[in-house]
Amino acid sequence: MIIEGGIVYDPINGVLGEEMDVSIEDGRVVEESRDGEKIDARGMLVLPGGVDAHAHIAGAKVNTGRIMRPEDGRRGTEARTKLLRPSTGYTVPNCYAIGYRYARLGYTTAFEAATPILEARHTHEELEEIPIVDKGALTLFGNNWEVLECVRDGDLDKLAAFLAWGLRASRGYGVKVVNPGGGEAWGYGGNVKGIDDPVPNFDVTAREIIRYLMRANEALRLPHSVHLHTNNLGKPGNYETTLATLRAVEDIASSRDRQVLHVTHMQFSAYGGTGWRDFESKAPEIADYFNRHEQFTMDMGQLIFGSATTMTADAPLEYGNARLLKAKWSNHDIELEESSGVVPLVYGRKNPINAIQWAIGLELALLTEDPWQMIMTTDHPNGGPFVNYPEVVALLMSRAKREEELATLHDLASKRSSLPSIEREMDWNDIAIVTRAGPARILGLAEKGHLGVGADGDVSIYDINPEKVDPSKEHEEVKAALAGAKYAIKGGEVVVRDGEVVAVPQGRTYWVDASVPEDAAARVKADLVEKFAKYYSIQMSNYMVQDAYVTRPRVIRAGVI
Amino acid sequence: MKKVIIKPLREFWVPVEAERISPDVFAPLSIEEIRRLEIWEGNRKVTLSDLFMISGDDEPAPPGDNEIVLSGDFSRVKRIGEKMTSGTIVIKGDVGMHAGNGMSGGEILIDGNAGDWLGREMRGGKITVSGDAGEYVGAGYRGESCGMRGGEILVEGSVGDYLGEHLCGGTITVGGDAGDFPGIANRGGAIVIGGNAHLPGAEMASGTITVRGRARVLPSFQRLETVEIDGIRFDKFLGDLVDDGKGELFAASVEDGGR
Amino acid sequence: MIIEDVLCPFCGCLCDDIKVEVEEGRIVGVKRACRLGSSKIRGHERIRAPMVRRDGELFETTYDEAYDRAARILKGAKRPLLYGWCSTVCETAKKGILLAEVVGGVIDSTATVCHGPSIIGIEEKGLSGSTLGQVKNRADLIIFWGANPVEAHPRHTMRYSSNSTGMFTPEGRRGRKVIVVDVRKTRTAKNADKFILIRPGTDYEVISALRMIVKGKGDLIPETVAGVDKADLEETAGMMKAAKFGSILFGLGMTHSRGRYKNVDNALSLVADLNGFTKFVVMAMRGHYNVAGFGQVCAWETGYPMAVDLSRGAPYFNPGETAACDLLGRRETDAMMVVAADPASNFPRETVEAMAEIPVIQVDPFPNPTTFLADVVIPTAVCGIEAEGTAYRMDGLSLRMKKVIDSGLPTDEEVVENILDRVRRLADDN
Repeated sequence: MIIEGGIVYDPINGVLGEEMDVSIEDGRVVEESRDGEKIDARGMLVLPGGVDAHAHIAGAKVNTGRIMRPEDGRRGTEARTKLLRPSTGYTVPNCYAIGYRYARLGYTTAFEAATPILEARHTHEELEEIPIVDKGALTLFGNNWEVLECVRDGDLDKLAAFLAWGLRASRGYGVKVVNPGGGEAWGYGGNVKGIDDPVPNFDVTAREIIRYLMRANEALRLPHSVHLHTNNLGKPGNYETTLATLRAVEDIASSRDRQVLHVTHMQFSAYGGTGWRDFESKAPEIADYFNRHEQFTMDMGQLIFGSATTMTADAPLEYGNARLLKAKWSNHDIELEESSGVVPLVYGRKNPINAIQWAIGLELALLTEDPWQMIMTTDHPNGGPFVNYPEVVALLMSRAKREEELATLHDLASKRSSLPSIEREMDWNDIAIVTRAGPARILGLAEKGHLGVGADGDVSIYDINPEKVDPSKEHEEVKAALAGAKYAIKGGEVVVRDGEVVAVPQGRTYWVDASVPEDAAARVKADLVEKFAKYYSIQMSNYMVQDAYVTRPRVIRAGVI
Repeated sequence: MKKVIIKPLREFWVPVEAERISPDVFAPLSIEEIRRLEIWEGNRKVTLSDLFMISGDDEPAPPGDNEIVLSGDFSRVKRIGEKMTSGTIVIKGDVGMHAGNGMSGGEILIDGNAGDWLGREMRGGKITVSGDAGEYVGAGYRGESCGMRGGEILVEGSVGDYLGEHLCGGTITVGGDAGDFPGIANRGGAIVIGGNAHLPGAEMASGTITVRGRARVLPSFQRLETVEIDGIRFDKFLGDLVDDGKGELFAASVEDGGR
Repeated sequence: MIIEDVLCPFCGCLCDDIKVEVEEGRIVGVKRACRLGSSKIRGHERIRAPMVRRDGELFETTYDEAYDRAARILKGAKRPLLYGWCSTVCETAKKGILLAEVVGGVIDSTATVCHGPSIIGIEEKGLSGSTLGQVKNRADLIIFWGANPVEAHPRHTMRYSSNSTGMFTPEGRRGRKVIVVDVRKTRTAKNADKFILIRPGTDYEVISALRMIVKGKGDLIPETVAGVDKADLEETAGMMKAAKFGSILFGLGMTHSRGRYKNVDNALSLVADLNGFTKFVVMAMRGHYNVAGFGQVCAWETGYPMAVDLSRGAPYFNPGETAACDLLGRRETDAMMVVAADPASNFPRETVEAMAEIPVIQVDPFPNPTTFLADVVIPTAVCGIEAEGTAYRMDGLSLRMKKVIDSGLPTDEEVVENILDRVRRLADDN
């Protein structure tokens, strides 16, 4: 296949809006393709396929969201066709809708943000049902008893061996940490108040948990860094916890050419004030810190007005949400490992808190100078469903659009944030970074996010001419063009044409197989044997995710040896 | 006035979904075009004339000037009058589920019995039933916090369970008995029940429920006083206090063994 | 040869520590399973061969003919009902849902006569729960409401609840309080610290009263509520708030008595209220070993966990309208396929009479009363013994069932796939 004459943005390879051809053969980008399909992309924007580094798209809490929200199911209902299964849902779409909708947006890779090891089988059952996109899942470790004990005992080698084992058991891609320590405290209805608040019964702090996990992550040279959801997320004044957390790990060095820590959905962790009355944005402080510390990355967690479903392993947060909003509430604690909550809600333009939150996400992205430190996300579906990504791009590229929106919001959005004064408008290069190149680098996916020779043949072509259309003024056109790709190509196969899905190949599932010294592995095993005998409610031999659940694996090797 | 008369050609067992039978849909159409309207019988897509005999006035007319007369057994025909905004539907016979779903204006007159989910998520307009209605009269869809938001439903006979579940506005009047949990989770609106009711107003946040017959009242309702309305004495309750509700429940007689 | 850590394919406990002894391709011993599981694993009378009904009688035939007949029945139906799915693995459910899409039918599971109301309650309020291991490791208060695990989930109390030991519960039963709420004094009640007898159909009122007391408004409720003394309720509320980790495990007593899903709804609210004071979880004691699994698969594939109407190509969910008993009770359905369930035994009489008037396809290893109504009968391998696959425990945990012996029979999944294949070919022929 040859994509001819498109205007290409491929930041990883230094291509910034050049008119050029892209050739694909056997699913990979090549110098030149001999023959095959020709796609006329003249006058159109060509980007590598989109990479969503953080979304809640598969697993127990996603399905809980579906089950408890039949009223969401009936939004976004599309009947089956000869090719496509039926779609349902807006904030909690069914598996087929997830695949089709990503593809229509031109996204070709999507990662599930958080999966507990004990329920990873469920995550993979759902991932297998999501068509088209390549995928992976991050595995939760921050409240796991074995982790807490290794941290308490200062046993880095054993911890690293446990991470390797846990990734294999869950067929996970990376180390996810959510409200470390707080999830365990929630087992008895508690939480931790900050990074130095000891976890009951384990005598460790979040500071220690995060540091040890990061050091173990780097000892294993995992492709991705630790991926962190901070303590005190969602609370006014929490920016201090966020900064304290970052300062606590400034000295840790990355083992690879990437960040040493990725902080996720930072919008929810950038709050000032002492309560909801004086709630305000502290995005400038956070962005400033990132501007001075290049070893950290973050993703936005942008709010979208309208219906959302919050779902997170930060269970105490969800309980708090439910009580505050008098909303329906699901909670699921997982023995020895984690906890989670799901609460549907609606973000309102005239709600002063929501209006400020909306501004914060944009502030963070625009005030962080280096786009390589930033990923555009909505923490789907916590901030809003991913189908709204074009809206976020349009906002990042157009100050006029931001002003138009601000005028419809509660005026505290303007008073308690610095957004009105921000002039910066992202350009296509920036957008290509924050939606493709950056997330691929940050996750450590070498063949994603770019169009150099050897890259996966994942390409999105949008019917908008970057040389003719000014995104700053014509933001409506930007949004419309990105909402339905002219072409989306996955592994060299056209999967979307004119915004319609025309093929549904199955994607592959990334997971990391890390090797560790035998003695450390044996010590971990001994601990696990005891835990299964005494505490787990299932047998150890039935625990690990079996091959049957990952039918098209893409295994990345890592490890100490 | 444009009048269209519809009669079933045969008995139905597999339900028919006829959301296209609505003054808004018929208004600009000729009889021939109406005959060709798409409806469903189970999983079969058919036209209106495959299942019904249609006759009447041919010229287009604004929806408000449309009258549709359904004559016969429509008890298995669902979604009649869905989302209508004006005009009239008269049903001489029983009608199936979801009649008047989401309607915001106009009138539906049922000279017979109505199926479940009558006037689901209604916003305006009026529905009158001479016979009985089923369950979930004037209710919402599963999981939604608001169902009916406006309009008027009048059932002269009795109704089934969950009358006006999640009622947020509008009025529902029932001549006979209501079943279990009428007015459950209400946040507004008014319900009047001519006969008996079982545990009315559970989870009620606000609104009014009047039971002229006998009610079994929840322990989480607080009896305030006795009042007289239209010559009838009622016990007045405040509830549902389990969630600090400020709904009002009037019961002419209270069942023993409950409160 | 002894095969270890086998999963029991009977109830929602999904015990995974069963030892099965196999000799020369036959099961000769079962250890650790309760009598219900053991009986299933050891096996009993099987359907020997596919059968089709002609002139009122069942005659043995080939799988081919059975698939063909089944496909024609489904393809020719205007409102086919595909029901069951609770005693088979998730892989079967996936094919079943696709088949329902292709034939434009309604798919529903046994939750419809079991915990369907619980799901509807969850749609109103959400569910504050946990895995069973949390109960084992932390719970010092266990409340069985309308559930009798001693008889219906025999190993539950030992493995997961009242009598289990864990990290923070080393004393097991001695360190816990057990309360049973039921309409009669069951065997489970006999082992409880406190038993509350309630009148049938009054669960909702009793729960409302408890909620009032928990929230400090007890002075507003009368001295007895539906026959239960306020003092009893106050003591119960006190025990709940004093617990470090309380749990309510409820069964069909709550879902099937008057009030149905509203009973569960109110119980879910009670547990949410209690979380304002202490840690509390709630769990539905699912009956069949994989009814939860069907719900999960159906939810991620269609958006809804049960009672899904696919006749117009887009999933529509409305229990009360789209559930199996609704269709049969109204005699709306003109064909039925039953996979891994026995509606003739469990359904209300009018619905069974409706089944007798329509063509019924049965896919099952075992003959049962539904077989008497079936027009096509297709025997299959027993999942969890003769076929592998995924199942979900009552707390939502998924595990892989093992295959310990061969049967030579097709799996449920293969049968559904074959029928789907024939249906598609019939469509192409048109």
